[in-house]
Amino acid sequence: MASYARPVERLITELSKLPSIGPKSAQRIAFHVVRGKPDDARALAEALREVKERIHPCKRCFNLTEAEECDICTDPRRDPSVICAVEDPYDIGPIERTGEYRGLYHVLGGALSPLDGVEPEDLRIAELVERVGREETKEIVVATNPNTTGEATALFIAQELQDRPVRVTALASGLPVGGDLEYADEVTLGRAFAGRREI
Amino acid sequence: MSAYLRALRLVNFRNYVDATVLLAPGLNVVVGANAQGKTNLLEAISFAATGSTPRTPNDPEIILWGADFTRAEMRVSMNGDEERKIAVGYAPGQKKRLTIDGVPASSLAAYAAGGAGVRVVTFFPDDLRVVKGAPSDRREFLDSLLASLKPTYARAAAEYARAVQQRNQLLRRIRDGLSSEKTLSTWDRKVVDLGTEVLRGRTAAIGPLGSLFEDAVSALYGPEKAALGYGYSAPLDGYAEALREARGVDVERGTTSVGPHRDDFAVLFGGVSMTTYGSQGQQRLATLALKFAAREYLRGETGQDPILLFDDVMSELDEERRGYLTEYFLASTQAVISTTNLEYFDPEVIERTPIVRISGGSVL
Ligand SMILES: Nc1ncnc2c1ncn2[C@@H]1O[C@H](COP(=O)(O)OP(=O)(O)OP(=O)(O)O)[C@@H](O)[C@H]1O
Ligand SMILES: [Mg+2]
Ligand SMILES: [Zn+2]
Repeated sequence: MASYARPVERLITELSKLPSIGPKSAQRIAFHVVRGKPDDARALAEALREVKERIHPCKRCFNLTEAEECDICTDPRRDPSVICAVEDPYDIGPIERTGEYRGLYHVLGGALSPLDGVEPEDLRIAELVERVGREETKEIVVATNPNTTGEATALFIAQELQDRPVRVTALASGLPVGGDLEYADEVTLGRAFAGRREI
Repeated sequence: MSAYLRALRLVNFRNYVDATVLLAPGLNVVVGANAQGKTNLLEAISFAATGSTPRTPNDPEIILWGADFTRAEMRVSMNGDEERKIAVGYAPGQKKRLTIDGVPASSLAAYAAGGAGVRVVTFFPDDLRVVKGAPSDRREFLDSLLASLKPTYARAAAEYARAVQQRNQLLRRIRDGLSSEKTLSTWDRKVVDLGTEVLRGRTAAIGPLGSLFEDAVSALYGPEKAALGYGYSAPLDGYAEALREARGVDVERGTTSVGPHRDDFAVLFGGVSMTTYGSQGQQRLATLALKFAAREYLRGETGQDPILLFDDVMSELDEERRGYLTEYFLASTQAVISTTNLEYFDPEVIERTPIVRISGGSVL
């Protein structure tokens, strides 16, 4: 790596730790910041700091929120008898945009993957099972990613809930196989919701 | 009429810096001395038609030394007068660019399974390993044939491989006390679901493929009764039980011992395994017969005759069989055949056949 002044090097190093930012992009972003207005840099730093200080998981569903419970959990118009389990908080946005879904969420925090050492205990599966008992949930829609690890996670959740009086469904296929929810377009995802099936 | 290739353009492909080759329906002969680029040319056609090379799993190898990308384009004649342009561009570290008339293909699997409009059956000297090599070589032959028919098969096979990897890792973690057994039945179910899809595809194909193989062997070799026999490590109806029964051993060994990734098929002449007992010549003929069977199978399933790309196939055959092959290629929709020596063909045939002369990565 070329050597720049220490603070610039440090910024490049930090930036290249971010997902999908390689060394080249990190360098480009760093120099953009160096050249830019001081106010812009300060606003970015402030935004980064604020997000870490103020944002934390919702007590109930583990979505990200500033309050104790997130806007979805506290919205009285939402149907509390249905919970949609997703891998990550950013999977909620695409589902919300379909307009098909009016229930609550549960963020698992990933998917089962022995190769990555991810065990049920590393996910919020026990919390989900506990919620089902406490909240009188009627249906769990498992909307994990349509790939091997996401589908295995869905199967495991169904297995954990098989003795409970709750319906466990998964999104209908129609999602691009091996794809991620984040990239599914709204129409496909909307249809997948409408046609969800028992697992 | 089936699709055939009119022209191929290569940029930075192996030893071709920039070359254009015109092709005709029926037989085309590619001729050149050793190490001039004959095999590379046939490989390039296959690459353009399917988006990957059958010669190596290591894509960067196909890029001209010192260059940072490669591109192969073909003009394909579809049903007589319609024409289509297909292209594959590749640079290491980037997604392949697959286009059909300039429109990006939806996926590599879809492009390879007929999306491009052409299918190919290739024969490279290294293909002898399908008969004489390991079970994995034979599985790969079957899998790539089925993948060229259905993108869903290719996906199921790839996902199955990933699920088995996950299960294997889980088995090792259980053995080493890092994981409990409670997710094992989940992974078992995933493995069985995907493995069943793979087994269904293979089971449906192996019967018809076996009789086509028998026909091909009797045409190429003689009256010997030939057959293919699929060996299941776990039967299709009893797969889940077999996997469950294998649990103990699997945990101990840290690997999944039953399923389509452990199966094999026997290549038999008169009941004798050509893998174990075949002579050099028998193994060669059995390989050719498998390729002929693959062609007929694709033709039966799609109604389209695939393009034959046979590399240096004449050199080790006797005169009678060379004659048979020449007729076979002449009767095909399109065959591109490479050789170091035009004398392997009947002079009368050569007179009316387009000849592509290759020297040092250039088309003369
Ligand atoms: N990526 C590459 N860049 C440049 N040259 C390459 C590359 N890969 C292979 N070659 C070279 O291309 C040359 C031609 O190879 P090819 O296998 O096509 O020869 P051939 O005409 O089939 O010869 P033979 O009759 O011996 O089989 C070889 O000398 C090989 O080393
Ligand atoms: Mg060669
Ligand atoms: Zn919430």
